Amino acid sequence: MMSQNKTFDTKALRKTVLDMAYAGSTVHIGCAFSIIELLAVLYRHHLRYPGNDPLAVGRDYFVLSKGHGVMAQYACLRELGWLKDDAFSHYFADGSDLKGLSDSRIPGLEVTSGSLGHGFSVAVGLAMGVKLRSTDQKTYALVGDGEINEGAIWEGALFAAHQELSNFMVIVDENGFQAMGSTQDVLKLGSIQAKFESFGFEAITIDGHDEAAINNAIIQLWASNLTSPKALIAKTIKGKGVSFMENNNIWHYTRLDSETYAKALSAVAGGE
Amino acid sequence: MRAAFSDALVGLAKADPNILLLTGDHGYALFDDFRRECPKQYINAGIAEQNMVGMAAGLARCGFRPFVYGLSAFIPVRVVEQIKLDIAHDKLPVILIGDGAGFVYSHLGTSHQSTEDIACTRAIPNLSIYSPADRFEVTACMEMAYHSMSAVYLRMGKSDRGDVHIAVPIIKAGHLLEIKPGKVGSIAFIATGSLVRTAMDIASGSYPDAVVWSAPVIKPIDMQQVATICKQHQIIVVLEEHSVLGGLGSAIAEIAAEFAPVRILRIGVQDRFSHYCGTYDYLLQEHGLDRLAIAQRIADFLTVD
Repeated sequence: MMSQNKTFDTKALRKTVLDMAYAGSTVHIGCAFSIIELLAVLYRHHLRYPGNDPLAVGRDYFVLSKGHGVMAQYACLRELGWLKDDAFSHYFADGSDLKGLSDSRIPGLEVTSGSLGHGFSVAVGLAMGVKLRSTDQKTYALVGDGEINEGAIWEGALFAAHQELSNFMVIVDENGFQAMGSTQDVLKLGSIQAKFESFGFEAITIDGHDEAAINNAIIQLWASNLTSPKALIAKTIKGKGVSFMENNNIWHYTRLDSETYAKALSAVAGGE
Repeated sequence: MRAAFSDALVGLAKADPNILLLTGDHGYALFDDFRRECPKQYINAGIAEQNMVGMAAGLARCGFRPFVYGLSAFIPVRVVEQIKLDIAHDKLPVILIGDGAGFVYSHLGTSHQSTEDIACTRAIPNLSIYSPADRFEVTACMEMAYHSMSAVYLRMGKSDRGDVHIAVPIIKAGHLLEIKPGKVGSIAFIATGSLVRTAMDIASGSYPDAVVWSAPVIKPIDMQQVATICKQHQIIVVLEEHSVLGGLGSAIAEIAAEFAPVRILRIGVQDRFSHYCGTYDYLLQEHGLDRLAIAQRIADFLTVD
């Protein structure tokens, strides 16, 4: 792996997210915190970028379809050296590059997302292209559980299974919340694993904050000799890492002030 | 026109194995040649247009050249956001083919009729809009779309109205093609798609001094050329099998208003859906787009001061 010398320490990643969210006075902190461990494991152990080049031909494709978690990905891209520190201290400054949702013009971000249900299909197209080229590249799409309300997700799931895209893995961040409330209250999803299995995916559900479990599940799914596409259902906590944010959906929208910023930093440093 | 489309597609795909044809379960019989000649380049994505267009973006990102086919009621109208965000934003070379534009599906009703597709796509940056009038323009548009290496929406309408060219024209993006010469100071007809033939017939029959232009490309459009035409003629008549809102007529009127104000008659669909069904010719009559009704509107327009 190209990233072996990087630690992708989850405390450090969360601190980066807090720093940039405070600098930019931005929202979506909870959305970023639920996927920190998933991204850390992917970047640390799985995603291959030849020459540490985010645009390398032959790279694995990681598509953040739930663009709302983009601060977590920015934090990883900084560790890779693809984003400079001043991009973080100037987050949301007039004329700055890093937006509040994923934008493909940033090297390392494969798609422009935020309108939900788009990245998944683009990722299916990437996986289809890789299959046609017969290379060993892997394609991952990380979607939110709220995002899979979108019908396009299920169109793409049918296609991926029909075409036997065994090089494709969807990772569902099942944090149980979407913008206006819990997924249970807004639009019941039932068993996400059973849904993907019924669409022809090979699926595993794990604790999305247990890095060893995440890593083992990804290895296990890729090791399968089935021709099915893969689904990793990650049970996560929105706002994970800061007790007053955890499972508290106001942190989809709330901005940090000096007091909450200090408390959150302290919580993240303590690893509570 | 559809044969010209199929021939062009097969020719391009045989020469470039990166070309993929994606269809949303449409094009029965139309793709027989393609499937026989290039079976590995054919993907039926199912009745799932949103995924198909997003996927085309992914395929383009890894070096393929997708041609995405559907009825123009669905491609582009159903997937405007996928075109905007997944394709146009990053200038990906995806060619979107919207077949059956206008009232081709005259018996099927509003779901399959498409008279708002140009308006829906004109405001999307990085997206070109082609609207060929006959088989020769189809051939030229397919070549131009492929070589442009950019995102294109190619609108295919009624295909059996007769040729307006005698050979494949040389099209430069944005240029109007003069298909009937006329005199400065007279009427200029500017038409696109199926109504180019109608414009020719009306001009030849009733206005021998009029010049007739075909607009195989609606976006980009050569503003200087349009402004010159507007300056050189007293009356401009724009014809399209599309709403008068947001289509070619709007594009011409916008340029004229800014650079060369002139009276412009916009012939098109008057912001309404079809009420009844019937033959294609019946539908044109219902919308006042048959030759007689158009000729009458032009005559009326000319008598108004």
